[in-house]
Formats: sequence, C-alpha cells, structure tokens
Amino acid sequence: MPDQKALFEFNDIHVEVDGKQIVSGVSLKILPGEIHAIMGPNGSGKSSLSNALMGHPDYAIMSGEAFLDGRSILSMSADERSRAGLYLAFQYPLAIPGVTVANFMRAALQAHRGKDADMSDFRKLFKAAMKALLIDPSFATRYLNDGFSGGEKKRIEILQMSMLNPKMALLDETDSGLDIDALKIVSEGINRFHNDSNALLLVTHYQRLLNYVKPHHVHVMIHGRIVKTGGPELALKLEELGYDWVEAEYAQGTGA
Amino acid sequence: MSRSSQKTDTTSEYLIPESAPELLRGPKWLRDARERSRRDFNKSPVPPRGLHLWRYTDPATFLIPHDGPPDSTPDDGVQSSEGPVSEHLEKDSTGRLVHDVGGRDIELHGADALTSRGVVVCRLSEAVDRHRKLVEQYLYQLINSRSGKFEAQNSALWNNGIFIFVPDSVRVAEPIHLLREAGRSGSTQFHRLLIVVGRNAELTVVDEYFGGDDSDRNTSHANSAVEIFGLQESRVRYVSLQRYAHRMNSYLTHRATLERGATMLTVPLDFGGAVSKHNYGVSLVGEGAESNIIGLLFASGRQHFDNHTRHHHAASRTQSNIDFKTVLRDKSTSAYTGLIRIENEAKGCEAYQENRNLLLNRGVRAEVIPELEILNEDVSCTHGATIGPIDPLTIFYLKSRGIEQEAAVRMIVAGFVDSTLKRLPSDVAERVAGFAHRRLEGL
Ligand SMILES: Nc1ncnc2c1ncn2[C@@H]1O[C@H](COP(=O)(O)OP(=O)(O)OP(=O)(O)O)[C@@H](O)[C@H]1O
Ligand SMILES: [Mg+2]
Repeated sequence: MPDQKALFEFNDIHVEVDGKQIVSGVSLKILPGEIHAIMGPNGSGKSSLSNALMGHPDYAIMSGEAFLDGRSILSMSADERSRAGLYLAFQYPLAIPGVTVANFMRAALQAHRGKDADMSDFRKLFKAAMKALLIDPSFATRYLNDGFSGGEKKRIEILQMSMLNPKMALLDETDSGLDIDALKIVSEGINRFHNDSNALLLVTHYQRLLNYVKPHHVHVMIHGRIVKTGGPELALKLEELGYDWVEAEYAQGTGA
Repeated sequence: MSRSSQKTDTTSEYLIPESAPELLRGPKWLRDARERSRRDFNKSPVPPRGLHLWRYTDPATFLIPHDGPPDSTPDDGVQSSEGPVSEHLEKDSTGRLVHDVGGRDIELHGADALTSRGVVVCRLSEAVDRHRKLVEQYLYQLINSRSGKFEAQNSALWNNGIFIFVPDSVRVAEPIHLLREAGRSGSTQFHRLLIVVGRNAELTVVDEYFGGDDSDRNTSHANSAVEIFGLQESRVRYVSLQRYAHRMNSYLTHRATLERGATMLTVPLDFGGAVSKHNYGVSLVGEGAESNIIGLLFASGRQHFDNHTRHHHAASRTQSNIDFKTVLRDKSTSAYTGLIRIENEAKGCEAYQENRNLLLNRGVRAEVIPELEILNEDVSCTHGATIGPIDPLTIFYLKSRGIEQEAAVRMIVAGFVDSTLKRLPSDVAERVAGFAHRRLEGL
C-alpha cells in the first residue's frame, strides 16, 4: 500500500534491458515539496531507472511497484503517466524532424488539458515560458531538437516541464551540456517551478547544479542499487572523494 | 467469358480498330502519327510480367477492350461536375483554370487574361490548327509510339489534350490550374498535355487528376501523357496531383527536357486510384540545367503504386535532386524505381536521390529500386533509401509528454510530410498542402 503522505513512491524496482538486469531492487519515497538527488558512477543504472519509471519501451520493469499521488502507475502507458503528473527530462532528448517546437508543445499541453479544452492562452504562455528561459523566439518554428546543441536541448526539456507543470519531475542530467550561464538560467527555471506541492528527483554527477537547486536528500546508486542515502553534505563528500569509499563501505555492510 | 485469362494476350478485343474515330482527328500529319501509333500499339506485345519496370505491376491492368463504343463520344447522361470548378474559382481569384471534363469538353476559365502577353492556353485539338508550327515541332518529341506500348496507345487515341505555350521572357506569375476529370464509370480517358516554356520565361502548372467511381461499379481508366519543354534559362514548376477515386487505374508518362540554364521543379503527388503506374522523367540536355523532383505518395486500403523517376544528365554541369516520400498503411503496396543516368560527355554533374518509406502497419509492402547508370567519373552522386516503421522511441518521446499513441503517430506522419512541404516554394506549398493534409486525415 502506498504511503498516504508520499507524492511519489516506488518499491523494489527491478529493470531489465535486453534481458539483462540493470536495476536491482530500488526503493524511494518522495514527499511533496522535496528535492531528491541521485548520484552514481556511469552505467550504474540511473537513466535506466528514470526511463523505466516513465514507461520507456526498452526498459522493462520486472518487479516492484510505483505510486504517484497514491495511484499505481506501472500499468499505465507513458502518456497516461505523463497526464497523471509524471515528467522526465531526458538525458539525451530525441530529435523529431518535421514537428516544430510550438506545434509539439501545443499538442502536449492540449493532451494534458483535454481534447476540447480552450487553448487560446497558449501563445502567451508559450512566449512567456520561452522568455523566462532566455530561449530565442526563433526556436518556436524549428523542428524539435533537430540540430539543437546539447545545451539547447536541455533548455527545451525544462521549457516543457515549466509548461506542463507536472507533480513529479525526474531530471536526468539536465545540467550536463549546459554552459555556466545556461546552468544558472536553467536552475532558476527549476527553482521557479518547484513548490510545496510538487517534487523533484535530480540525477546528476556534479555539485554545481546542487548549489543552485538544493536537495533535501542525496542517494548514491551503484550497480543498480541505492547503496547510501544522506543529506546535502553527502554530495559534497562525493565530489571530493569519488565513489570508491561508498562502494567499499557497502561491500563491507553486505559482507560481499 | 473469362476476360482475366485472356488479358495477358493482345487478343483482338484489345487492339485499336482501324475505325477508331480518334484516328481521324486533326490534320494529316497528326492523323499519320496517330495511325503509326495505332500500328505500333497493335504490333507490340504486352510487356511480360517481370520485364524491367513491370516487375511489380501487371501490365494487363492497363489493357482496355476497344470493341465497345468509343469513350470519347459525348455522354449526355453525365453532368459536368461544377463542384471542383466553382470551388477553385472561389479560392483562386486569378481563376486561371482549365477543366478537362472527362472526354466531353475542355473548358477554359480566365485564360484569356494571358493572351495579351502571347501566352497560349487552349485545347490541344485547336492548337493543332491555330498553333500548328509549335505543335508539330514539339508534340510526340518526348512521348510517341516508340516510347512503350501504353504510350503508343495514348499517342494514337488522345482526345483530351491541353496546350500551354509561354513566349520568350514572359513570366506567368500565377499558377495555371488544370482540372482533369475522370470519365464516366468504366470509361477510359486519354489525356495529353503539351507545355512549351520559352527562353527565360516562367510558368507554374498544377495538373490535378480527379474523379472516377468510389462505388463498386466498373473500374475506369486513365492513360495520360505529359510533355514539357523548358527552353534556355526558363523556370518551370509542374505539380502533378493524382487524387482519383478508388475504382480508377491510372497510367501516366511524364517527360520533360531542359535546355541550357533552365530549371524545373516537378512535384508528383500520388494519393488516389486503385492501381497507379506513373513515370516521371526529366532530361537535362543543356549545360547548367537543374531539375528537382519533390514527391509524396500516400497509400491506404489495397492501393497499389508503381512509380518511376528518371533523371537523365546529357549535358555538363547539370544538377538533379529527388526527394520522394511514401507513407503506406493497411494493405497497400508501393514500388519505386529511381534511375539516374549520366552520359559520358556530361562532366561535373551533381545528382542526388532520396526515397523514404514510412510503413504504418504490418502488411504493407514497399520496394525501392535505385538504378545508377553513371558513364562519367567526374560526378557527385548520392542516393539513399529508408523503409521502416515509425521509430518507437519517437513515439515514446511524444507519449512521455502526454500525447496519445494515435495522435503521436499522426504528428510524426504529418512531420514526415511537412519537412517535404517546407522544401517547396511557399506559393506552391500553399496550393498543395491542403490536399496533402486532407489525404493524410483519410489515411
Ligand atoms: N538501451 C540499452 N541497451 C543496452 N544496454 C543499455 C541500454 N540502456 C542502458 N544500458 C546499459 O545499462 C547500464 C546502465 O545504463 P544507464 O544509462 O542506466 O546508466 P547511468 O547511470 O544513467 O549512466 P550515466 O551516468 O553514464 O548516464 C549500462 O551498462 C548501459 O550500457
Ligand atoms: Mg544516465
């Protein structure tokens, strides 16, 4: 049974890719207003976990459960999860030639509001959201992510988040690829979005994002498991010492 | 009687009789050409299935018995469909419209506004007398009795002809729209179009084929021939829109030739009909000539399309480019053969060809046959083809933003098409986008 207080909660999630187990029993409980960060070495399964929770077809959840606002989401299709309030900012956003940013954004917002909902405020909202993230208006008519730089794609992911206004946002390495100024602009965008009734799960390698977007809890993921959890100070320690010590400590604790 | 078992032979019912009334139309030189074409048609065997360019479509599809009454006789029982004409005239203030009323007449609307500048838009049957020198010089130059069996048939029997001539240095800014209506149920139309665009002149033509039966009555046929001449430095844009009803078989041969410095944009849009075999070819015979073919094909139900494109580089520093996109669903099939030929004496040419096929479900079939005949080393030539379903990860991206599966597919298909429409000049894109989107909605 889901915890009544949790906004987002998943238990004992196992994920397989191509028949190979990548995530091996991960659990997390996120309360409204909280910011969590997951850190961990390359290939430890952070993106696999996020993608699987969003309903990515390549990442099969073999066992476990997940609840958003008390509703079980694992039997929902990806679009239902999105409309239920889940959002994933992808580590590697896909390009969709032929579909402009504006048309895409309009379709997404329409889907969230419902087929017959009034969209007359769209242009105004869209313009304002672009402006807040210092995205040049010319991007509106460009094909989604088609030829966009790494940093531009990340900004567009946050633009979408700010317009769809999800309850629970998973941000997978949104900071990577951003230059120093862009990191600040995007971080401010994330902070503007965040409030007492929604929550964030940041996947990141660097403290620099966490300087702007301050997490309440930091988790370390290694080999498909969350092996350590702490407060913001844990991120600082990881930045200084790397992951070896966490791994050693975990091996000792499990007797491996 | 089992017609289908006889169909593969040129049995007498498929021969053009000596008495066919079309053969008597026109002055002597034309009657001679028609008679030559009749003999060539009757003499030539039906192409065996499997022969080059006939691997994917049964030639018998286009054989028509000639023992019935001629199809071009006026049919009083059928009313001219005013719908499409008035619709066009409403939308298009310039109103330059030619309505080929399925073998009954060819009506001209607003074309006289162009005559003061020497532009000719008229029935080919009249041009034969009024512009005899031009017609005699150009007609049958690119498509004639030796081009193929069905080309010979058209050359003998064409009845619904249109002639367009633009004098040197005259620019026709507004498109001329040809509405070419299928005949009554079970009939066959032989459309013919001859376009001559003078030196440094400019012309845009939208050639729209429509009509035919949607019900389960007899299949109707169209056999069309299009010859276009772009003289030196001319700029020609030609849209060929095929949006026939379901019970219609369409055979079309298009041949264009470009002189020095001439440019041509050809836009084949193949949307309708039951079986459709269309062959678009541009020859670059003058130095520096350039041809672009940007095409779209949407197939659904049990539609079958067999398309060819042919870019022939016969002169140096000529350029050609083909972007042909296909969307298939249900049980439809498409075969696309794209030939690029570069002659030995044609130096420094550039030729590109791309064919992308989007398969919306299992059970459709797409074949791509690129053919390169490059006889000169000094060229830049690339070609590519893709055949496949919509990328599931693209669908996932859209779904992860709340967009439902079906809407996601529609967006991706519209995007696939939009990137082609964006490559067209805006005034041409405006004219064709509506047709493309309407056809997509029905897909
Ligand atoms: N689609 C896939 N196909 C095959 N293997 C995959 C796929 N996605 C992930 N993997 C494998 O699963 C493991 C975990 O990958 P994942 O992307 O989840 O790691 P990560 O923690 O996000 O790494 P990084 O910090 O580099 O982004 C890796 O070994 C990776 O190669
Ligand atoms: Mg990752």
